[in-house]
Amino acid sequence: MTDSHLPRRTLLRYGAYGAGAAALAGTAASWDRLTGADIPGRDDGSLVVATLGSAFDPATVDALTKGFHQLHPDIPLRVNAVQAVDWSDFFAKILTQIAAGTAPDLVYVATEGVQLFAQKLGVSLDRWVRRDAAELREYFADVHPSLVESMMYEGHLYQLPMEFNAADIYLNKQVLKRAGADFPAADWSRDDFTALLREMKRAGDAHFTPYFWTNRLWGGVVPWLFANGTNLLKESKAPGGSWLWDTFYPAADRQGRGGGFRWTTPQATADRVEEAYDYLASLVQENLCSRPEGGNGSNLVGVFSTGRVGVTPAGGFWAGGLQLAGMRAADYDVQYFPRWRTQRHQFGAAGYALLRTSKKQEAAWEFIKYAARKDTMTRLFQSNQTTPARRSMLNAARYAESGPAHWRVFYDTLDRFPDTGPIPAPPQVAEVTDVLLKYTGTALASPRAVGPALRRMQGDLEQAMEREI
Amino acid sequence: MTNTQVPNTQDPNAQVPAVRSRPATPPPAVAVRPSVRDRGTRLLAALFLAPTVVGIVVFTVVPIIGSLVLSLFHWNVIDPPRFAGGANYRTTFTDSTVLVSFRNTLLFMVLAVALQLLIALSLALALNARMPVWLRSLFRSAFFFPLVLSAASISVVMKYLFNQDFGVVNWLIGLVGVAPVPWLTSEHAAMATVILVYVWQQFGFSFLLFVGGLNNIPKEIHEAAALDGATGLRKHLGITLPLLSPTLLVASVVGIINALQVFEQPYVLTDGGPGDATRTVVMVIYERAFEQLDFGEASAVGVLLFALIMAVTALQFRLSRRFVHYQ
Repeated sequence: MTDSHLPRRTLLRYGAYGAGAAALAGTAASWDRLTGADIPGRDDGSLVVATLGSAFDPATVDALTKGFHQLHPDIPLRVNAVQAVDWSDFFAKILTQIAAGTAPDLVYVATEGVQLFAQKLGVSLDRWVRRDAAELREYFADVHPSLVESMMYEGHLYQLPMEFNAADIYLNKQVLKRAGADFPAADWSRDDFTALLREMKRAGDAHFTPYFWTNRLWGGVVPWLFANGTNLLKESKAPGGSWLWDTFYPAADRQGRGGGFRWTTPQATADRVEEAYDYLASLVQENLCSRPEGGNGSNLVGVFSTGRVGVTPAGGFWAGGLQLAGMRAADYDVQYFPRWRTQRHQFGAAGYALLRTSKKQEAAWEFIKYAARKDTMTRLFQSNQTTPARRSMLNAARYAESGPAHWRVFYDTLDRFPDTGPIPAPPQVAEVTDVLLKYTGTALASPRAVGPALRRMQGDLEQAMEREI
Repeated sequence: MTNTQVPNTQDPNAQVPAVRSRPATPPPAVAVRPSVRDRGTRLLAALFLAPTVVGIVVFTVVPIIGSLVLSLFHWNVIDPPRFAGGANYRTTFTDSTVLVSFRNTLLFMVLAVALQLLIALSLALALNARMPVWLRSLFRSAFFFPLVLSAASISVVMKYLFNQDFGVVNWLIGLVGVAPVPWLTSEHAAMATVILVYVWQQFGFSFLLFVGGLNNIPKEIHEAAALDGATGLRKHLGITLPLLSPTLLVASVVGIINALQVFEQPYVLTDGGPGDATRTVVMVIYERAFEQLDFGEASAVGVLLFALIMAVTALQFRLSRRFVHYQ
């Protein structure tokens, strides 16, 4: 007998194995389980809106979707709250979704990504804005032209600004009291600022830091560059845009407006840039401020509210945060950023960008209009986690509980300093930001490091700006 | 008659022919077929291996090939890829950030792995001494515990602890009069701090390997050495370490591969700074791909890292022939 003959017992055993495997496979196949199709709204033809996860709380998102559904019952809507650490992380995740073929229709984009999205992914809103001009007249009348201009790219409008934050200065009033210092005047100078820090340092203990700042594009070294009348990249304006200014803004407001900002030639080695870095370096060396890498925005509310920090640059978004941290309106206040050669402030704004890949562009435009309505924005921005782009929404009632007393500063920054502008964010913003953060750390890490670090920053910025995205 | 030469087995000087000629008559052609049991076993083995093989092919081999192909293109996710030839590699070799990241990663690998193995081995040897079982178990759990935690979470906590202005570490050393140390903000201290955090989290794996390796060394060998008069250090150097060398090889191979791919700790703790002081290769890959939308260059850097890992691992196995002893 050879092995080629299959014994009956073996045959039965393998038969049983086969039957068992088939039964298991059948059971697994028929088992109820979750698939991608079970995610509400997935692939059901909904208009998909991607927002930064932490920007709106679930109740707000709920109100947003219900309100839109009442107005447009024929347009199913899904809000995709993408959890991300910051805007850069958020954009990375959106791009991953696009690469995966699951691009949203609309994305909530801040200044950091306006030009990148406009150049590569966005659809200009010009034709819809022109078409629905009558409907939008009330919106533009309520929104500062600087914010609108920051959402333009090469003469076209890509977003309607919903919110913004200018870098003003928050002051801890307990610390001021401890130092015996007065609340600064609106036109205080850089020297007044330094003197105040020294007074605070004298009155504080070894673990007290008078000025806390974070090394990032918004609110880091850039406000000092702006105050010193300079910028990281040479700033100019694109031609065009008169179609919008002439339609919606009076002559006084459209004076000097263009088709959006252009940030082109790097100027890291310019005298005024070096001067701003030298000033920050002197503050670090005098132990008057946090070091670039030491500053971490996530623990800032904690250290400020407990009196371990005296002043810090922040926008309207901080009022809500400080209230949550237990600070009362009387415990802190806000003032304009100090004057140096100018008192120009920097800001960042955000709104919805419509993606080229969207097959529901008309529906998406309806959502953009709906989101920019005053009643919608009032529902969206209930707590003071940002500064609404609509001037009429900033009123005493809004800040009655959370403060600060000088809440008018938030919007008046735009009115009082009309040259106030967005942070430099060309399409190559990610690389520009990386270079800025890296060399700011190097420049302020040791004495006499500013010059060499800025020279290397200039080289890297030139390389970054030449790079095709 | 054949021309086959039969060696004279009686004569030790007789030469064995260099080439054996074919036998005159070939052996009978008996086809050896595997038994049904053998075939069944092979099938079963293949079935069990299939998921892993499929996993390796889909999640390792295909991405490696994909990266290799992508490294020859310019691709920003949004526009279609454009063929770039060797441009991404040329950029990589002239990009100071990439070169510095390779230097940092190699420095990190040498220091972190050496420290990790030294600490793990010392603690494993210490724990091998006589002590109550419950205490031994407690130490084992304590040393292994950081490994099961997320590296990102640990790094977030460590960032607070090592903060120069508000950190607990500087507060503690301040109690004994030491000035605040710029743990994460000085070019020299930052890498040391990152290594410290990494080693603290990672040494538990090597430690467990060493504990297992030490348990496998037969007691008789140590007893025989003791009878021959070998004392503590001599015993460790002459017996324990040579017999532990296979474990050391595994621990160092795994340690080096992990260290060359370090990302979370420097990313969260220092974001690669100050300057480029703690920027690692995987951080550069992430930045190029997901922040700067340059997937071609990111892939080129990834391919170079892959080649480096392969080279270092091959070198380790090559050297292991001389230093690793199996019982």
